Amino acid sequence: MSMMTLAINNFKASFKSYLSLIISLSFTIMILFNFQNLLWTDILTGLGKYNSVNINAIIQIMTIVIFCFMIFFIWYSTNVFLTSRKKAIGIYVFMGLSNQKIAMLYLIEIGLIGLVALTIGIVGGIILSQLFTMIVFAVSSIKMATNFVFSAKAIVISVIIFLLIYGIFIFKGYIDIMFSSVISMMNAKRQNEIVLQKKWLLFLKALLGIGVLGSGFYLSIQYYGIYVLSTALISGILVIIGIYLIFGGFIPLIFQQLANNKHFLYQNNRALWINAIIFRIRKNYRTYAIVSVLMLCAVTALGTGFAMKNKYENIARFESVYTYQIMSSQNGLYDEFSQLINEENEVVYGSEAEVLLVDDHALLSYSQLEKIADDTGLELALACPWDDEYIRLDRLLVMSFINDNAMESQTILDQQLYRMAKTTVPYLGYMQENMSFLVVNDDVYAYYRPQAQRLYFYNYRISDATNFLASVDMLQQHPSCEGLVKIDPNNLQIEWLKLTYSIAIFMFMVFVVASGSIIFMKTYNDAFEEKERYDILYKIGIDQKQIIKALNNELAMTFILPLFTMSFASYFSIKALSNVMFIDLTMVNVVSVLIIYVFFYLCYRLTVIVYKRNVNLK
Amino acid sequence: MNKVIEISNLSKNYGSKGFYTRVLHEVNLSVYENDFIAIMGPSGSGKTTLLNMLSTIDKPTSGSIIMDGKDITKISNRELSKLRKEKIGFIFQDYNLLDTMTLQDNIALPLSLNGCSSAICLRKTMEIAQIFGLMEHLKKYPYQLSGGQKQRGAACRALISEPKIIFADEPTGALDSQASRDLLECLKKVNEQQKAAILMVTHDAYTASYAKDVYILTDGKIRCKLSKGQSSKAFYDRIIDAQAAMGSDLA
Repeated sequence: MSMMTLAINNFKASFKSYLSLIISLSFTIMILFNFQNLLWTDILTGLGKYNSVNINAIIQIMTIVIFCFMIFFIWYSTNVFLTSRKKAIGIYVFMGLSNQKIAMLYLIEIGLIGLVALTIGIVGGIILSQLFTMIVFAVSSIKMATNFVFSAKAIVISVIIFLLIYGIFIFKGYIDIMFSSVISMMNAKRQNEIVLQKKWLLFLKALLGIGVLGSGFYLSIQYYGIYVLSTALISGILVIIGIYLIFGGFIPLIFQQLANNKHFLYQNNRALWINAIIFRIRKNYRTYAIVSVLMLCAVTALGTGFAMKNKYENIARFESVYTYQIMSSQNGLYDEFSQLINEENEVVYGSEAEVLLVDDHALLSYSQLEKIADDTGLELALACPWDDEYIRLDRLLVMSFINDNAMESQTILDQQLYRMAKTTVPYLGYMQENMSFLVVNDDVYAYYRPQAQRLYFYNYRISDATNFLASVDMLQQHPSCEGLVKIDPNNLQIEWLKLTYSIAIFMFMVFVVASGSIIFMKTYNDAFEEKERYDILYKIGIDQKQIIKALNNELAMTFILPLFTMSFASYFSIKALSNVMFIDLTMVNVVSVLIIYVFFYLCYRLTVIVYKRNVNLK
Repeated sequence: MNKVIEISNLSKNYGSKGFYTRVLHEVNLSVYENDFIAIMGPSGSGKTTLLNMLSTIDKPTSGSIIMDGKDITKISNRELSKLRKEKIGFIFQDYNLLDTMTLQDNIALPLSLNGCSSAICLRKTMEIAQIFGLMEHLKKYPYQLSGGQKQRGAACRALISEPKIIFADEPTGALDSQASRDLLECLKKVNEQQKAAILMVTHDAYTASYAKDVYILTDGKIRCKLSKGQSSKAFYDRIIDAQAAMGSDLA
């Protein structure tokens, strides 16, 4: 039999056990392809140039994220595959095959798996591409027709990226087999016999873990002004290292202490599952750490998405307060413009304001602000400023990397004024998005008034904003109209923010599904190694029900440990995100964590069923 | 003396109608409290099949096994698992200790799963480990123990719930002669002190000579029974003679 036939026969015979590997690989390829497809087809150009540039940038970033994710995922799954094949490989060695030939056999087999996964991934990706686009648009509430298109370039790039990563890892496996000894191959499955780690080492790791994690958390909730982004980055790295050490030190230490306390251990079925979990953590702690980090990324991604959506809604609000904003140097034209508009449209509400332009600042009096709030129905929660104070009417920032709360002051002519408060309530609508206004009390206002240039704003909101064009000509032809801002409700300029939201939701789902399936895959594979344990328990006459109870506890623990670690850490990552984005994301945190809990519960049930089947428990 | 097990007309066939192999043919055997029985026979004689049926892992084609007043071939799974838990102990050739726990936890496992208090678990583990000379090895994991230590550990686990009968399947099969002797001495001591009956399957005449009675099984039938007199040495010689007389190797 030639190498090729043998490899193909192997592949056919164990297709079922490769299935999880193939499915997970195709899954990552599908995701990669779909993002590439969005990038290389002209689906997004319909959103306008400004948006598509922004969206492309986001997709590029997403591609990098997916690329990193693929590296990890492929590394992980090929490793699992290699370990599961090593025993069979050992038998070939005894049959007299050279390492080189065996490595070749491995190469062909895993190559076949890769090809099958690639084909399924690309074909599936093409089939699902329109669905994907439709879902992305629907979630982003972007109304645009989608056609079934796919780009050859997207296919080529996806294939190249996959083959590159996959190639590196199977080459690593190839080298691994070429240079490994018979003994190590035969014992590949027995390597996990050494259970206990030295206590002092665990203790050290645990201590270090708590320290590193703690400082990561501390950094994430501090305000560091313009350094907020780099601080967030450092705290992110610290949290990842910390989680790794917690799983490598702290958690095993706790369980080993529990196992040492025999009065605790010899109750119910703890002797079975506590010992088993020590064994499992020792073998898989890296996996659990990675899963925790992955879920943490998921929650953070979702938080970012919601923050973006919130910003979008806020910006939309700035633009939706008024339909028209007319600038003029003439006073008392409010009713005149109102009548003009009413010829074609109906004014729902409006406001007017006199603004002083002095020393490069735009000043507004507090009494005017009160009147505007009253006219437009916007809330005014700020008290009147003192003589040396002002309120800043500000715009919203999409994403600020500066969370500077330092004292702010302005010198206007000969007077120094301090900021009393800042508000982003859109009293002056779109104007406020383009410049910032300082609100002073009426006395200060009166002091500056004689020395300042005066500008008048007349703002109107009409009942049917989509009919805004009808009144534009009339308003522009008015001799006192020196500037007109008209808001088109169908403007797409900030649509990309909405897309960020749907991509964030998508990333959340990908990360959560990936973390669930990693634990599932790992447990699925472990089951084959652990079958012996259950045979023994059956043989020595242990009640099946008790075995199953212990098993449930043990498997539940493998889901609970990463979940709790993630829940705890997510509080801090969301807190850091809130600092950067100026928005309270507590609800997003709670909801996303709950969603993960529900999903993990389902994964846990499935894992129990499959595990029981694999170890022959009924 | 109390009867622990009574086997009557036990037969076992493998295969389907018309094409079956008869592995056991109407075996009759009674085991009493404090018995130490060895069953010998060549490969394929049905030793392991018999043991599997006694230990409720396999079901017979016909016949009955009465244990504790009940026919274990007919009782429900629930009763069966209760029986296995409370009345039977097992020792295997390949030890079957769990890799994931220390020797102490392995020994205590049946008791702790039966709902005994932790104090009782600890006390009994110590007692039995003392008898089997394992006190200084309790904190070790199976991979840190020698074959003999592992097998003595497995014997401790089988004995800790004070079963009425111990089934041992080639218990010395993987041990060297010194380790075999240590184990058998311990089993003998337990048999004498605790009155637990032991039923052991072996092909080794030396191991069999520790038993009080030896049954020789060939072709699914018990061919002869040898009983121990005063001297172990004389008993060993008689077993060897019987082997020679049966004209086959009993391995």
